[in-house]
Amino acid sequence: MKRRWLVLFLALCVALLTFAGGAKESAKTRLIYMTAGDTNMLALGQNVLGPGFQQKYPNVSVATIHTGPGNAGSQRILEKILAEAEAKKEVWDVDVAMVHEIFMKWAMEKDLLLPYAKDLETWKYVTSPFAKVSLGVKIEGYGMPMFHSQTALAYNPDVVKDPPKNFSELKEWVKKNPGKFGYNGIKGGMSGVSFVVGWVYAETGKYKKYAVEGPFDKEEVNTWEKVYNELREFNKYVTITGGNVGTLDALNRGEIWMGPVWVDMFFTFMNEGKMDPKTRLVLPEPGMPGQPMFFVIPKKAGNAEMAKKFVEYVTSPPVQAKEIVQRFNWYPGIDGSFIKDSVPAEVFNKIYRDVTPQDLQKKGLSFPLAQYFDAMLESYEKWIK
Amino acid sequence: MTTSTSITRKGLKVPSYILLLTPAVIFMLLMYAYPFLASIIRSFLDKSGTFSLENYVKTLDLYTKDIAFTFSVTVFNTLCTAILAILLAVYFRIRQNRITRILSALYKLPLFIPFVVVAQMMNSFLAPHGLLNVALAQLGLINLQRPLQLFNFTGLSFGFLWKQVPFAVLIMHGGFQMIDNSYIETARSAGAGMGKVITRVLIPMNKSSILVSLVLVYSQIVGTFTLPYMLIGGKIPTTITVDIAHRVNYFRDFGVANALGVFSYLIVLLTAWYYLKTKLGETK
Repeated sequence: MKRRWLVLFLALCVALLTFAGGAKESAKTRLIYMTAGDTNMLALGQNVLGPGFQQKYPNVSVATIHTGPGNAGSQRILEKILAEAEAKKEVWDVDVAMVHEIFMKWAMEKDLLLPYAKDLETWKYVTSPFAKVSLGVKIEGYGMPMFHSQTALAYNPDVVKDPPKNFSELKEWVKKNPGKFGYNGIKGGMSGVSFVVGWVYAETGKYKKYAVEGPFDKEEVNTWEKVYNELREFNKYVTITGGNVGTLDALNRGEIWMGPVWVDMFFTFMNEGKMDPKTRLVLPEPGMPGQPMFFVIPKKAGNAEMAKKFVEYVTSPPVQAKEIVQRFNWYPGIDGSFIKDSVPAEVFNKIYRDVTPQDLQKKGLSFPLAQYFDAMLESYEKWIK
Repeated sequence: MTTSTSITRKGLKVPSYILLLTPAVIFMLLMYAYPFLASIIRSFLDKSGTFSLENYVKTLDLYTKDIAFTFSVTVFNTLCTAILAILLAVYFRIRQNRITRILSALYKLPLFIPFVVVAQMMNSFLAPHGLLNVALAQLGLINLQRPLQLFNFTGLSFGFLWKQVPFAVLIMHGGFQMIDNSYIETARSAGAGMGKVITRVLIPMNKSSILVSLVLVYSQIVGTFTLPYMLIGGKIPTTITVDIAHRVNYFRDFGVANALGVFSYLIVLLTAWYYLKTKLGETK
């Protein structure tokens, strides 16, 4: 009997403590930050941005929720916000989200976003054209770029003495070195997709039309048969790897000597000792696409004001310099000139050694307008069977 | 169903078992039947929501090869699983010594390893300069300049078998254990060799659990995404599941994704039909 009372007493204590803890918690503002992207995005939110922001605003606790890599991750964020909109909820759960370019198109179509970016103190540092138009959709004011990712060709300088400077040199190179160029097709991750888009730009010479000016013209798509036939021929000499990481792994194991990679993943692998430090990068003419990831605030976010402060914090020059460039090796979301002084020269030089700021300006291309993008991916499936 | 639900309207008495069944039935209808039917219906709707075969035309135009590939991977691996699992389960049934005890503890390991981990393991194990090729090269069996290429049908099958054979053995072994020793002894005393005992006594008597395990293995292979995605995601051909993910992630095209889904239902339907036919045959 005595024991039963003791158990009851203990249970009560636990319950009281929990409630007390809960009450204390609720006095704080809980900022829900949902992020797409690889696991590094979760680490960034949980270990860096959240704690940093909480230090500045002790009354806020940032809860980072991770949805997964690639467009699929952004898709899940869209589904969550869309569900809340369709359920006609007055206050939505997600306060701020980190998303890919394609999300901007989806969310703008459904009118799910708050135009907030121009209210920010840090908006004046943003010069990237990606913050104005994304995949042909006007997004100015709705998204704030946190960083810019770029794809380039990584190569092993021990065996590749003179890396190809453009796509036609690459075509010759693979014929001389069959199986030594590797990419992950279009279903295994975005570095492969980026390579294919770069290929179409190079073969057609119509980057401006497909990615900047538009409009979508179906006749253009019909002219691509030759472009993809060439790519099919090219594929005979290459290795198809198992994903973005698969390409990096294959490079590192010496299975392939060259392949398209995300520059930030490449440097992260190197920092973690998973990539031979000798490996170099080259951005072939006319260039390859990259993309930013954006901060967005859902239209009916519960803590929109605090969310703005959070975005402001992350896009401030000190945080951009220390966390985005130095720690994660991304290119900054704001104009690089505002952070140059805050980043140690060696980091700046490492990141910009092979792909210089001039290269980025000239050859850091954008992904095509959404309809062309769809058509490019589908053409790959249609002609390369 | 209709005969068992004898609800007496006059007294408004609902048999208690109906009440007990209701939550489960509602759950099944809501969580399984509705999405299943909805996906079939939506595969026949175009983007504007009107009836059309557009999704099927596109599916057949772009993915026929992948559908055939999925079907062949599934059938091949189910057959291989059947052979290997029966051999192992029979071995565990007939021989009981220290080796089988160690083996029967070991073979269960893959059951607890998720597909995504298996995929990553296979990725580094089967890679051109992966563990397997390097080991073979060390033994002088292959030249590392021209390693075995295993990120294809072969490697995928290896991954599936590694994961599925233990699962099938687990179910089959239970069935074999139920067979009394006397049957085996009788057969042997009547002059049957070990081969005959296995094919004429053990397998026929354990037919139902063999069948169940293979139906489960078959449908799991059709529906697995991570292993093919991580091993042969970017290759041509690839599996239906990778294509479904591609349609949804890059195009938000649920129409073609649903149509691809319907093809995977059709592939699974084959076994379901065979399974039901056999089961009904047994009850007769």
